[in-house]
Amino acid sequence: MSILESIKSVRNSFRADIDSFPTDPREIESLRTKYFGRKGLLAGLYSTLAELSISEKPAAGQQINSLKNELQGEFDRQTSYSQTDEKGDQELLDLSLPGLPFKSGSVHPLQQTLDEIKSIFKSVGFKVAYGPEIEDDYHNFEALNIPKHHPARDMQDTFFITDNMVLRTHTSNVQIHLMENREPPLRYVVPGRVYRNEAVSYKSYCLFHQIEGLYVDKHVSMADLKGIIDYFVKRFFGENTQMRFRPSYFPFTEPSAEVDIWDEKRGKWMEILGCGMVDPNVFDNIGYDSSVWHGYAFGMGIERMTMLKFGIDDIRLFYQNDVRFLEQF
Amino acid sequence: MRVSINWLRQYVEINESPDELADMLSMLGLEAEVPEKQHFSGIVVGLVIKAEKHPNADRLKLCIVSDGEEEFQVVCGAPNVDAGQKVPFAKVGAVLGDDFIITRAKIRGEHSDGMICSESELGLSDNQEGIMVLDDKAKPGTDFNDYFTDQDYLEIDLTPNRPDCMSHFGVARDIAAKTGRKLNQIIYKEKEFKSNDVEKMLTINIEDPDSCPRYVAGVVKNIHIGPSPGWMKAALESAGQRSINNIVDISNYVLLEMGHPTHIFDYDKIPSKTISIRKAKKGESFKTLDELDRTLTDQLLITDGKHPIAIAGVMGGYDSAVSESSKNVLIESAYFDPITIRLGAKSLNMTTDASKRFERGADPDGAMNAYWRVVELLEDLAGGEWVPGIIDAYPKKIVQKSITLTRQKVDILAGVDLSDDFIKDTLSSLEIVVDESGVGTWTCKQPPFRPDLEREVDLIEELCRMVGYDHIPASFHYKGLYDPGDIDPEDGITNITAVLSGLGFNQCYLNSLTDEKTSNLMGNNAIPMKNPLSSAMSHLRTSLFPGLLQTLNHNIHSGFNHLRLFEIGNIYYRDTEYTEQLQLVGIIHGEMQSENVHGEALPHSFYTLKSYISGFFAGLNLPELSFKTNKHNHYEYGVSIRYNQSEIGYCGKLNQSILTVLDIDAKNVFGFQIDLKQIIQAMNQSIKYESIIPFPKVERDLNFVMNEYIEAEDVILSIKNAGGANFQSAFPKNIFRHKSLGENKKSITFNIMFQSPSKTLEEAEINSVINDITATIEKDFSAKLRDQ
Repeated sequence: MSILESIKSVRNSFRADIDSFPTDPREIESLRTKYFGRKGLLAGLYSTLAELSISEKPAAGQQINSLKNELQGEFDRQTSYSQTDEKGDQELLDLSLPGLPFKSGSVHPLQQTLDEIKSIFKSVGFKVAYGPEIEDDYHNFEALNIPKHHPARDMQDTFFITDNMVLRTHTSNVQIHLMENREPPLRYVVPGRVYRNEAVSYKSYCLFHQIEGLYVDKHVSMADLKGIIDYFVKRFFGENTQMRFRPSYFPFTEPSAEVDIWDEKRGKWMEILGCGMVDPNVFDNIGYDSSVWHGYAFGMGIERMTMLKFGIDDIRLFYQNDVRFLEQF
Repeated sequence: MRVSINWLRQYVEINESPDELADMLSMLGLEAEVPEKQHFSGIVVGLVIKAEKHPNADRLKLCIVSDGEEEFQVVCGAPNVDAGQKVPFAKVGAVLGDDFIITRAKIRGEHSDGMICSESELGLSDNQEGIMVLDDKAKPGTDFNDYFTDQDYLEIDLTPNRPDCMSHFGVARDIAAKTGRKLNQIIYKEKEFKSNDVEKMLTINIEDPDSCPRYVAGVVKNIHIGPSPGWMKAALESAGQRSINNIVDISNYVLLEMGHPTHIFDYDKIPSKTISIRKAKKGESFKTLDELDRTLTDQLLITDGKHPIAIAGVMGGYDSAVSESSKNVLIESAYFDPITIRLGAKSLNMTTDASKRFERGADPDGAMNAYWRVVELLEDLAGGEWVPGIIDAYPKKIVQKSITLTRQKVDILAGVDLSDDFIKDTLSSLEIVVDESGVGTWTCKQPPFRPDLEREVDLIEELCRMVGYDHIPASFHYKGLYDPGDIDPEDGITNITAVLSGLGFNQCYLNSLTDEKTSNLMGNNAIPMKNPLSSAMSHLRTSLFPGLLQTLNHNIHSGFNHLRLFEIGNIYYRDTEYTEQLQLVGIIHGEMQSENVHGEALPHSFYTLKSYISGFFAGLNLPELSFKTNKHNHYEYGVSIRYNQSEIGYCGKLNQSILTVLDIDAKNVFGFQIDLKQIIQAMNQSIKYESIIPFPKVERDLNFVMNEYIEAEDVILSIKNAGGANFQSAFPKNIFRHKSLGENKKSITFNIMFQSPSKTLEEAEINSVINDITATIEKDFSAKLRDQ
């Protein structure tokens, strides 16, 4: 191999090494030795000069020198890239190390569901109202067309504080407060905590949360009720959700309906909410003229909606607050 | 309620599969379900060849059971097992329930190779009384899955407004109305009589007509008690009832058929020949059919003039019950006031098939129909002789309502076009008598069996039900109702939870019911429940802390020590009135940052707590936060949280004694509480923009030596007061303690900023203010400027 070919070969070899320039300091050092060390490739080239004739020597020497400068310059540039600018080669970064520990928190799934449901109804003109959990018999039962000794009282096991004061069994008490204090028309959703005196199990807890809707106007029909529920269900569960309305009974609505959605996984209808047209007795009780005013009302359990949406199968998880549960949301 | 599909077929044609029928009924408001089909493993039809007393046990029987090929010796404890019966036989290796495997056993010294099963053991019903006896025609050895194919029934969950559907005929009526198919009436004869002989045998005396508006009675003589015929046994069984004897079965059968409860007394056990209906006297006692002694208060009673013989509409008496030796029976078919029966049953904590029907509203005319039906069956099935006549005491006539239905209301409420013909036909098919009293106006008569149909809307619901809710279109027409004002008074909570979550807090939802001790631990005037679920949930919470601390404890026990938790919720107490107050409470425990390759662990402290509070307010863009050292009896130490100079909360280190009382395995828990309503109010104030100052800031550090007890915040206030118009801020930058400073002394370096809105400040101006500040601080706090 002629000296020129040898020079070319070292240059090519160097170019190849430079293309995959190492980051590890030890590898950089061994690369440096390979070319610039005492027994390195450049030193090898210099040693071959001795074998050349005097006439060839100056030109070849010059060529090797310029190769050395070229390689040294390139090598230094590459080395500087892989080092921190200011602190020198002692502070090399291990980029695989984790960052400073950062703990993220979580918003409770029930809060997330509540926020979502509120925002869906707000988007179609509902306002939001709140009311008391400690309620008198009149607002929780009587005014809602559930007289004393009515079998419908069995539908809801009640916590009593006194004979006349209860922990509300539904958010419907707020319907009465709203209508007592406002003239129609009105359109509200009412979220809140409600209580049932029932043994705690995976499917029932002694308290849960509801959100209730009420719309009162002159011309309100079952078709309007179906429209708003359909809109809500599709926004909450997805546009392709199948839904059915079937007749049911609530003392404060007539006609009344329950709404089911089709659960593909279980292969059956799952009940999600109750609703109906406001019973004229309720209007009579609060002093709206039931021959003029009509309305619809609906109510749903926030726990139930959350369980259906996320596939949670035990209601007690919501109140246990195990961080392994909370941090999934 | 269990409804037999075969039984329904007596009254209406049914072509639907059980699933289709369940769907149809659900869409009619009778929520129906096909029970899940059972699978039986290792169970065959067995023939009991022999059943004799177990040699070593009085209550057990030693049976020989054949599966058609082999014979097995089986020990059985059921009183009703008998030779010749076909029974469900679980062979060795059979599985009952989820995981009960039948093995070869030795019971009181005798081998038992298998088990004869009851309905409850097979999971078919709750019936544990004895073994299940199968159809005589069943072939021994048949796999029970093949024998038990006709799970031909539905479970219906009836709403309380539909007592009319608490019978097979009632359900059939709805099916016929929906499908337009013919409804076959129950066939029975109302017998004619020349003289009302029964009046000589019986006097009815209703002392309380409001509670007992109608009482129909009669007598059937010379009955023969015995088993019911196969068709009746099968009918009862298909509806989930056991056959007892022909007399009891007749009453039960009529109840399931027509829905009207009747009671059959042993006539000879009522020697007074008098039925008096009155309210119980307080303390009166009475033994009911189920052999329990009841102490009465004011329930409605059927008496023999003196002593009770039945609790009206709930349960008959033990002493007047029909027995093996009964000959003559008295039939009671009454209509009782719903509320009276409900209160009576509730006060005794009893629910019976009869009470369920009466309290929802029975059919006053049904009392008469059921009487005739029972008479007929007693003659046919028990060979009885009817005593001609009937006593129909009906002192308080139940009047059916007349209801006006208008086209206008139908159109407003239904939201679907319903033709005049549809309206008339549908109502008629529900046995509502309709008269067209004008154009678009109908006068309708409430049927006696539909106490729920009283008003126009009730009829509109019937129309919607029958047209099908699925045929009502959904209207997406947005009806405008523009109402500004406060759209959502608690809107801010969404943002609050987001900010706290960003600060590493997990939001919790906790029970608002707690025990008495806990409710008194951190609050006053806790509200107790009159009927608590348990003593652990007897009071409403007065603080959110205990629940959060218990959550902390739960998570520590699962191995999670470093926690930041918060809850937004109400606390409750009673002073002059019942009060609910929305609060935000949080706790922190463990480390803010755990040990890592970049640094040491950073344990939570009062100062990390304070940084969360500051971060929280900053995250909500609420700049006017300040703290004030203060005492609070739930905290070892801490500060008030103030916003715009008014106190809105507190934060600090929680008292260890509270953790000890609550049995919490933790130390050094820091907590905060904030009045949420005030935060939300502050969030609602709109932001006022201030123009950006283009002139440079000047900063100076001043280092003062002062007494240890002086609080930095007070010094900063003084700096501010002395700092002149261009003062911007002062911030404690460093604290230094060393004995060279003197006993109980510290030095604090304050970083102080100045800026003028109108010019670049000059050195001389700054120096003059710095001199003022130094003089003030030295004077106010006996501090000394330390040499830099």
